[in-house]
Amino acid sequence: MRKFAYLVPKTLDQAVSLHQSHGNRAMYVAGGTDVMVKVKSGKITPDYLISLKHALGSPQLRVNSDTGELHIGSLVTHRTLETSSTIKRHYPILHDAVQHIGSVQIRNVATIGGNLVNAVPSADGAIPLIALDAVAKVYAGTGERTVDLIHFFEGPGQTVLAPGEILTEIVVPKQPAPSAGAYQKYGRREAMELPLIGVGVQLSLEQGSNRCTKARIALGVAAPTPMRSLAAEHYLVGKEITEETLGEAGKLAADESRVRDSVRGLAWYRREMVEVFVKRMGMKCLERIKEMGA
Amino acid sequence: MTLPINNGNEGGPPGIGVSIPRADAYMKVSGREKYASDYYGEDLVWCGVKRAGVPHVVIGEIHTRAASETPGVLAVLTHSDVRGTNRQGVLQKDQPVLADDKARHCGDAVALVIAEDRHSLNKALDLVSFDYELLPGVFDAEEALEEGAPILHENHPQGNLLLSGEYRTGAGASAMAECDVVVEGSFRTPRQEHAYLETEAGWAQVQDDGRLFIVCSTQTPFRDRSEVAEALGLDLHDVRIKAPYPGGAFGGKDGVTVQTLLGLAALNSGGRPVRMQWDREESFLAGTKRHPARLYYRLGAKRDGTLHCLDVHMVLDTGPYDHLGGVVLALGLEHAGGAYRVPHVNLKGKCVYTNNPVGGAFRGFGVPQVTAAIEQMIDMTAEKLQMDPLETRLRNAVRRGDKNSIGKTLVNSTGLRECLKALGEHPLWKSRAEWKAGAGAFKRRGAGVAALTHASGYGPVVPDVANAKVELTREGKFLIYSGVVDMGQGNATTNLQIAGSILCQPTDGMELVLPDTDRTLPSGSASASRCTYTFGNALIGAAENLKTRILQRAADLLMARSRDEIVLIPGGVRHLVSGKDLPLSVIAGFMDEAERISVHHFKAPTAPENFDAGPGIRMHGFPHTLFSYAAHLALVEVDELTGEITVCRYVAISDCGTVVNPQIYEQQIQGAVAQGIGFALCEDLVSTQGLILTQDFAGYVIPTAADVPEIDSVPVEIFEPSGPFGLKGVGEIAMNGPLPAISNAVADACGVRIFEYPMTPERVLAAIRDACKRISE
Ligand SMILES: Cc1cc2nc3c(=O)[nH]c(=O)nc-3n(C[C@H](O)[C@H](O)[C@H](O)COP(=O)(O)OP(=O)(O)OC[C@H]3O[C@@H](n4cnc5c(N)ncnc54)[C@H](O)[C@@H]3O)c2cc1C
Repeated sequence: MRKFAYLVPKTLDQAVSLHQSHGNRAMYVAGGTDVMVKVKSGKITPDYLISLKHALGSPQLRVNSDTGELHIGSLVTHRTLETSSTIKRHYPILHDAVQHIGSVQIRNVATIGGNLVNAVPSADGAIPLIALDAVAKVYAGTGERTVDLIHFFEGPGQTVLAPGEILTEIVVPKQPAPSAGAYQKYGRREAMELPLIGVGVQLSLEQGSNRCTKARIALGVAAPTPMRSLAAEHYLVGKEITEETLGEAGKLAADESRVRDSVRGLAWYRREMVEVFVKRMGMKCLERIKEMGA
Repeated sequence: MTLPINNGNEGGPPGIGVSIPRADAYMKVSGREKYASDYYGEDLVWCGVKRAGVPHVVIGEIHTRAASETPGVLAVLTHSDVRGTNRQGVLQKDQPVLADDKARHCGDAVALVIAEDRHSLNKALDLVSFDYELLPGVFDAEEALEEGAPILHENHPQGNLLLSGEYRTGAGASAMAECDVVVEGSFRTPRQEHAYLETEAGWAQVQDDGRLFIVCSTQTPFRDRSEVAEALGLDLHDVRIKAPYPGGAFGGKDGVTVQTLLGLAALNSGGRPVRMQWDREESFLAGTKRHPARLYYRLGAKRDGTLHCLDVHMVLDTGPYDHLGGVVLALGLEHAGGAYRVPHVNLKGKCVYTNNPVGGAFRGFGVPQVTAAIEQMIDMTAEKLQMDPLETRLRNAVRRGDKNSIGKTLVNSTGLRECLKALGEHPLWKSRAEWKAGAGAFKRRGAGVAALTHASGYGPVVPDVANAKVELTREGKFLIYSGVVDMGQGNATTNLQIAGSILCQPTDGMELVLPDTDRTLPSGSASASRCTYTFGNALIGAAENLKTRILQRAADLLMARSRDEIVLIPGGVRHLVSGKDLPLSVIAGFMDEAERISVHHFKAPTAPENFDAGPGIRMHGFPHTLFSYAAHLALVEVDELTGEITVCRYVAISDCGTVVNPQIYEQQIQGAVAQGIGFALCEDLVSTQGLILTQDFAGYVIPTAADVPEIDSVPVEIFEPSGPFGLKGVGEIAMNGPLPAISNAVADACGVRIFEYPMTPERVLAAIRDACKRISE
């Protein structure tokens, strides 16, 4: 493994200026579960790894009681999300996703921010957050900007972050009630697996009925970046949520997906699984909304 | 550290049939056990290999200059630096240590670099290049046999055919005409990767006395010694191989991996110790794999379900080198008809060279492939006859004294029927109808069985021998010299258990000496379900012998009338008549060295029959005489919309003779079933044009603990008179069951049968679709 210097700036400004002074020889690191694998294999060869541990302060996971918004600090680990009762109760779609990332050892150190910035099409953290309309907060040295998460990804491994910019937190807006979501990471085994396809569905219903007021259908490994199926979402809004309408939404999402063949799975199969799991996750949303009401 | 003894006899000798803790457990879990990859030493240098990266080429000039000039590089070696035969292999010595004339697969070693550290090593490896002339490759075993196919070994008289076998009993395939039903099936099994935790690794140094000392992760230290000496042009006695516990092997370390390369490096490192460790990608690329098989079966039966005629044609892809391909073929042929009486049999098999990854030994050794076929053919026959699959098996299952499907008379314990009957009585089998009815929406459930047999040992020609050695030291401690490697299966502990029970010593009162060509005696490979059977028998002899000597000497010292009045007790002896005790250290003081060391030789029994299955097949181990048996049950759930198979419960009922250590026995069953589930459902080392596409564990999927169901292991203990304390081999048999049991269960669940493995969700879903289409048409 190539040698590098490990820098631990105390503040965001220091981090940004360190990054600027070393240019593309520097790289931020959070949990390091993506970075270190690439360094060890020689895929990347940074001379400086800049840890964000101190600059970002202790990781925060909280609900703002005034706005109802959920704030997830970018250093929050998947394990923290997995074991949070707030997440489990109010954001089950996120709970579904994080509990199947890697293994407990990985989840103990891997962060949600790293998962997003790493920007692989299969990022399990990204799909549910997109379905929840999350917004990314970015610190640029000159100030802060916000980006809707759906617009955060530009291609495999590419985000809208300019060199040196830091993802500070993710904000999830309050969801209209009643609503619930569900995520399926569909892979070939139960743990330590990258998904063949990831399907997240988040539905809001009219009070006391099954009529859909808002739908989000987000897909992983279905395109070069995490994506939403707008056709399926539009189709569902205003309709009763039933097996039939969800089946139709599944078809629309499958059509809209841009899945590809790989050693891990064939395109035809991935497309069909989009259809199957949009429906299954939609039904799970219904169940969960019912359980919440009960 | 003293080990707690869990035998209801605190501090006393271990019993037979009790789960004493594994002798290696504490050291391993606390990270203190020294594996081959834990050897360093002062002035250590690293060595590594430049791999061909192309599947079939004539090698021209090898450019080593840039690499040699890299700072930190000690030497860059090629085939011209090898002074011996530069060839390795178990039977055909057809694999070069460093490629000279050609490269025959992407993993061939072209140059060996020695460097101060791993960083310079990797840099230099990148700088080695070579000129080559591309040759057309052959990547399909059946195409390799066609006229005009590219030839891998120009000197091999049979072209790409490494070995073939042909064998007939009764009227052969012509008896098919006498059958009431005939079923046909062709099956393809995948290339399976061993995927051991510890990749191939070792350490070597030329010692002050000029001898080459190699410490490596291996199943075969004595055979390695011969191979290294011959390939590198050394005298056998100038090579010493020491084999610590490997971190898993499963057959992948049955033969040379790093040994000759390390030896060559050590001869060129100026006396400094060298270390080599393959990373996972290199292990995938250069290590051996389970032979992919094509199996073409026809099975005929009478209306009442009696099997009558079997016709088998099998083709194994052995990659570019023999390794143990011929032996795998012979064992596959022997087991092709399962454990059934079939009067008319026609078997044909071919083991074929290709430019794919190297085929070699892997737990099961050809038997998982053929069992996959025969055990599904039985279900297909039963289905056609509308008979119960368990009943069909019972009707044809071999008994002691029967002739099996190759006409071999089964003279040893034969417990298949007992296993099948126990399966029939198992609650999961009895309640299967209710369980199946409980499937949820879009789910189908099914139950599948498989009957298994597995030979142990080397067969009729190559002597299956072990030489055990037990020593009473001057200080009065027992040393148990393990001749056979314990690659994780626990036989080292079993050795302590056997010796301890005879010598009446607690296991922590004895010390194990792991295999080492300078210290232990040649006892064959850790393979072929033979370790405890063959070595255990030798060990009993050695321990009994030493016991007699100790008792005799003690009788003299204690003025006893005969040694019958003396018994061994932990740490000493007791005179039963006077009640006097003597510590072992005192007795040891009255014995000279020759008396304190006891050795015993054991040779496993062989079949007297002489079957003619073609030139070389007998030499490759056909037939065996001792078999273990089992009956497996898989309960699976199939998702009709995704094609996903979930194995919900698994039952393995085994006749492997007496159970000496229940925990170790169960671990063997569990591990093999897990590995078999991987073989059935997800493991496939995919390569196209000789290039491996599943290069690491992100692409090559093995089951995790979360994917393996609860496994119920039930031993059917039938005493095998020739085995130590009545045991037979348990290491491999359970590997043969999961694929056919699961596939039969899938067929039971949704009426479709998968013929190409692993049974990925894609394949299952496509099969379900096809079946629906056929019904609607
Ligand atoms: C064995 C294993 C299993 C895995 N399983 C899964 C899985 O199931 N699902 C899945 O989605 N992923 C998986 N991963 C990938 C990885 O664990 C996740 O993507 C993880 O969330 C990355 O977080 P990290 O903190 O380790 O990121 P790091 O490796 O520290 O960083 C990743 C990238 O993000 C950048 N970065 C990190 N934080 C910030 C920030 N705040 N601002 C700007 N840039 C930043 C880094 O510069 C780097 O480019 C697995 C990885 C391993 C090794």
